[in-house]
Amino acid sequence: MREGDQEWDEGSPERLYVITGGRSASTADSSLDLVTLIVARSGPTAGMQPEAASILRMCHSPLSVAEVSAYLELPMSVVTVLVDDLLASGKMRSRAPVAAAQLPDTALIEAVIHGLQRL
Amino acid sequence: MTRRAGSPPGGSRPASALVWVLPTAVTAVAALAATFLVASDARVPIAWIGLAATVSVAVTAAEAARRGRLATALRAEVQERNAALTRQEAETARLAQQQLPGVVRRLRQGDFPEDVLKDLSADSPAGLTPEFRAAHQSVLHTVVDAVSAEEDLRDSAQRAFVNISRRVQAIVHQQASELRGMEDRHGQSPAVFGDLLRLDHGTALIGRLADSIAVLGGARPGRQWSRPVPLFSVLRGGMSRIIDYQRVELHSVSEVAVVGPAVEPLIHALAELLDNATRYSPPQTQVHLTAVDVQSGIAIEIEDGGVSLSEEARARAERMLQQAQAGLDVNDLGETPRLGLAVVGRLAQAYGFQVSLRTSAYGGVRAVLIVPQELITTAPATGRAHGIGASSGPRPTSPRRVPEKSAVTEQPAAEPTLRAVTPLDRPSGPESIPEVTDRTLSGLPQRRRRNRVTTPAHHEPAPDEAKSEQPPVEPGMWMAAFQSGVTGEGAGQSSPATSNREASSEKSEQP
Repeated sequence: MREGDQEWDEGSPERLYVITGGRSASTADSSLDLVTLIVARSGPTAGMQPEAASILRMCHSPLSVAEVSAYLELPMSVVTVLVDDLLASGKMRSRAPVAAAQLPDTALIEAVIHGLQRL
Repeated sequence: MTRRAGSPPGGSRPASALVWVLPTAVTAVAALAATFLVASDARVPIAWIGLAATVSVAVTAAEAARRGRLATALRAEVQERNAALTRQEAETARLAQQQLPGVVRRLRQGDFPEDVLKDLSADSPAGLTPEFRAAHQSVLHTVVDAVSAEEDLRDSAQRAFVNISRRVQAIVHQQASELRGMEDRHGQSPAVFGDLLRLDHGTALIGRLADSIAVLGGARPGRQWSRPVPLFSVLRGGMSRIIDYQRVELHSVSEVAVVGPAVEPLIHALAELLDNATRYSPPQTQVHLTAVDVQSGIAIEIEDGGVSLSEEARARAERMLQQAQAGLDVNDLGETPRLGLAVVGRLAQAYGFQVSLRTSAYGGVRAVLIVPQELITTAPATGRAHGIGASSGPRPTSPRRVPEKSAVTEQPAAEPTLRAVTPLDRPSGPESIPEVTDRTLSGLPQRRRRNRVTTPAHHEPAPDEAKSEQPPVEPGMWMAAFQSGVTGEGAGQSSPATSNREASSEKSEQP
């Protein structure tokens, strides 16, 4: 029983569905995936959901959705839902990962790297 | 005769001894007088007649006196019996009106039957026959036996309830932690995740039922929290355990924490009140949940837009809260559809919450639960219990070197706001200045990496800053700058990158 009590002490009293309001996935047209970069456009406001406020705070610098998920210790879907809400309210902006076709020549990048390292 | 009967018992005996002599003497005197007054030839018969009369009067008077004494004795005995009867009557009334209720009350409170009986036998009044006293004692014994047998039955029933609910709670907890693990594992596939959330919700409802039964059985609700938990998490914990949690709108919440031992009872009481609120209001209406500071603690208000509470219904509900505080029978469980109020009453009594139900301005019911000051702490709630809550701000410690968990748990709550405010007027650190300049425009992030690589070599003055403070933002920054360079969006992309730099320089200044 003692060990059980220790285990009870873990975690948080709130369950994930309360955080997302029962939604399991973002809206259909969401383009968020693990490597989508998100960045905050404004700081957290009073009365905001703590998770949303945390996302805004940590996304002062662009972060990927996967990183946000890891820092918050929340599953990807929960973060996606929260980020989608923030995107919809204009508090954040996202940038889709670069498509492979758009990537420049790796040789060019390597050349630049070498050049920079010689600086 | 009647005069003598009315006379005091002590003086009746010598008086009656004289009284029967008096008529006899009068008759004898009268007979003698008649004998001397009549003619001499009639004297003999008259004398005889007088003698006979005297004798008969004497006999009659003696008999009358004897009966008088008898009647006096009987009357005294009757009085005595009357007095005894009165005492017995009073004693029986005392038994019925004071002793038996007292016995039942004490037994219900858990006193031992032996103690109760000992106290009772001590205060028996004098003047009662042993038989009567014995009869009363046996009545008391019978009642004590019956009541204690009933109490034992109730206790064992309650223990059985608690026992069962504990087992259910254990299973539910196991289930919940496994579900949480699955939610983490399947977080990327929304369909599975949605199903898991529904399962999770159902499990939480089962858990609440088990908690309710445990509380009604006189035990604590399930979990124990050793650390303070933020009020916001507590409120959402309450929301987690009701069916219609989506209808609950969580408004401003004062930033305090609830001390560990009171967390679970508060969550449970709130869940029951929220359940009542959502259950007895139309499905399309919202239930408003707020928590504000008041003088005596924190007032948590739950308002619904449902059916208004009539004065009579309100009185009934509050009476139910009161009754529950006095103790509720497990036997009543089946008959009480509004189990919730009973549970809330129990918890309120055990933990000092004040619960009141009023008519809401929205037309429905407004339940106010006041958490006393001593259960509130303003100390920042740290650790896992705080969890994903209010201040799980990002990692001031470097996420690259330390695993994410400690990154989340270690950071102080105040830091993010500092970072948010300062970018404009920050004094840039010497090593952060070159980073900001033209790197964004050229879009080549590698300079960051080089900087970091060379940091140990020539940043002796501030090794800590260089090693631990700059890396935090580096991943995102790297990507951002890389991307802005790749996509060639000059001005548009520079702003996030710049803010990134600013944030990083902020970080480097913070010890």
